[in-house]
Amino acid sequence: MTMTSRERVEKTLNHTEPDRVAIDLGATNVTGMHVRTVYLLRQALRLDAPGTPVKVIEPVQMLGEIKPDLLEAMGGDVVTVMGAGTTFGFKSEGWKEGSAFDSTPLLVPAGFNTIPEANGDLLMYPEGDRTAAASARMPSGGFYFDSIVRQPPLDESKLRVEDNLEEFAVISDEEAAHFARESERLFKKTSKAVMLNFSGLSLGNIARVPGPALRNPKGIRDIEEWYISLSMRRDFVQRIFERQTEINLASLEKLHQAVGNNAHVIYWTGTDFGAQSGPFVSPKMYRDLFMPFHKQINGWIHQHTPWKTFIHSCGSVWALLEDFIAAGFDILNPVQISAADMDPCKLKERFGDRVVFWGGGVDTQRVLPFGTEDEVRSQVRENLRAFAKGGGYVFNAVHNIQALVPVPNVIAMYKTAQEFSAN
Amino acid sequence: MSIFDELQQAIIDGKAPVAKEVTERALGEGVRPAELFPNAIVPAMNEVGRRMRDCEFFIPEVLIAARAARAATDILRPLLVGDEEVRSAGTVVCGTVKGDLHDIGKNIVAMMLESAGFQIVDLGVDVPPEKVVAAVREHGANVVAMSALLTTTMVNMKAVIDALAAAGLRDQVKVMVGGAPVTESWAQSIGADGYGKDASAAVETARSLVAAA
Repeated sequence: MTMTSRERVEKTLNHTEPDRVAIDLGATNVTGMHVRTVYLLRQALRLDAPGTPVKVIEPVQMLGEIKPDLLEAMGGDVVTVMGAGTTFGFKSEGWKEGSAFDSTPLLVPAGFNTIPEANGDLLMYPEGDRTAAASARMPSGGFYFDSIVRQPPLDESKLRVEDNLEEFAVISDEEAAHFARESERLFKKTSKAVMLNFSGLSLGNIARVPGPALRNPKGIRDIEEWYISLSMRRDFVQRIFERQTEINLASLEKLHQAVGNNAHVIYWTGTDFGAQSGPFVSPKMYRDLFMPFHKQINGWIHQHTPWKTFIHSCGSVWALLEDFIAAGFDILNPVQISAADMDPCKLKERFGDRVVFWGGGVDTQRVLPFGTEDEVRSQVRENLRAFAKGGGYVFNAVHNIQALVPVPNVIAMYKTAQEFSAN
Repeated sequence: MSIFDELQQAIIDGKAPVAKEVTERALGEGVRPAELFPNAIVPAMNEVGRRMRDCEFFIPEVLIAARAARAATDILRPLLVGDEEVRSAGTVVCGTVKGDLHDIGKNIVAMMLESAGFQIVDLGVDVPPEKVVAAVREHGANVVAMSALLTTTMVNMKAVIDALAAAGLRDQVKVMVGGAPVTESWAQSIGADGYGKDASAAVETARSLVAAA
């Protein structure tokens, strides 16, 4: 019997095999799609008239909106509540026509105010304020923004924990109301599983360390300096995490009051712990510096809510996965199968009964952007054979589908997943 | 412990102020600047590379060691100019390709190469092919080392190779590539001469490319 999307995901999360593999497209800002690809996909599927713009729902990675018609066409089983704010501190509202990397027609938020440089680079501003110093740059020929590091001179004697906490605050009543409204609407009006995209709680997320939403970032804001600080200023970083965790727990309490049982999963950390060839940090550093806080936050969530906890960490995390599970994470994303030690069969065999793999459906570094449709289909089937058996697997690519990925490959990928049956 | 061992240890331990102090003390004691490379800095960074390969060192430890090495090389480099006995391992023009602003990996590779005795011309990030061509001409580089983190920008590595060919420089310079999405087969498919799986492998690749030239 065919299950509803919600039943399918619930079974999956409980490590029971559903009628077909559960599928995600766009439930988080790490399982979505670049707006250019969304536009071309919508055109290819004839969902829109030519020239119909697509909303940029996440302006750093330039993710496009996955509307219900596209979600349905791709077989998506999960809907999402995204926060009302963006990484640049302006809100996802006041939509206007915009352009960025090429002529793809876009709708961007009112605060999406860029200034082009002579070389074609685009500059982005905190809170959309073009009189402030630019906080991010999209290089000419690039497809998304990277933070501009604005590191004030570092004086060890004047380092203050507060300076690295400026961008963190307990969620506002308005934001809580937004989550309440949206989660209730999605829970009651759809038969899909509901994701809370709440990654602002991440501890030490390098995408946010430079303070892209801040006009005058203070503290440690340089990327290399931050990584160095994990070791050389360990106590200082720990104090930041302590304070941030207090804020996070207060936010979660408010979020829980707002959302209650109208959600299935919370994506709350996107800090990357893996690089291509191994973990970014030693397992010892993870255990000493990050894990106690992860445990605290996951523990609170499990004690007070029915939500499953979702960690996004790129790269090779085999050596950390036992600790992620012990820290209380129920779901691992993006399952970067192209990184070292991330073989699907081995992951499933060793950890498959204790963690849900969410992603890893196709290699986005090689096969999806550069392979043929047949190669995509063949790899998707191979990975599904490894991951899907016995439940505990939600299909998605590895991370967001990028610009320049051939649309026929995207269609082949999702179609193969929809047709796949583990039996 | 010899002064060479002291410097080596300071770099491996990532103690930049100690590395600086030992380097200055060594020079004060009459050690020639060029001696510190083969006897302290190169073996230190070789050890850092080994620890990285064997999962004893991770990104923070490598960055800290690289910073300590830089504390020594910043003092030594100006003193090496004009030293007839100093033989560079080769000149490497490096950078992150056009459209890509990621540079941690590239910076680690540059530091490892520099510590291994290469002259580094670091063009930074978002480097257009014509800038690589100009730098190869100006510095008579032996090797071009290009980095990319993105599938959308790794294709620009081929543009660099094509630009070198169009400028008539392709036969004079070896091209090596690396970065998260880059593989050996990709490197071959775009006509690169070498591939660095990680920073220490990149040093080996650069050495073998220069030796084969």
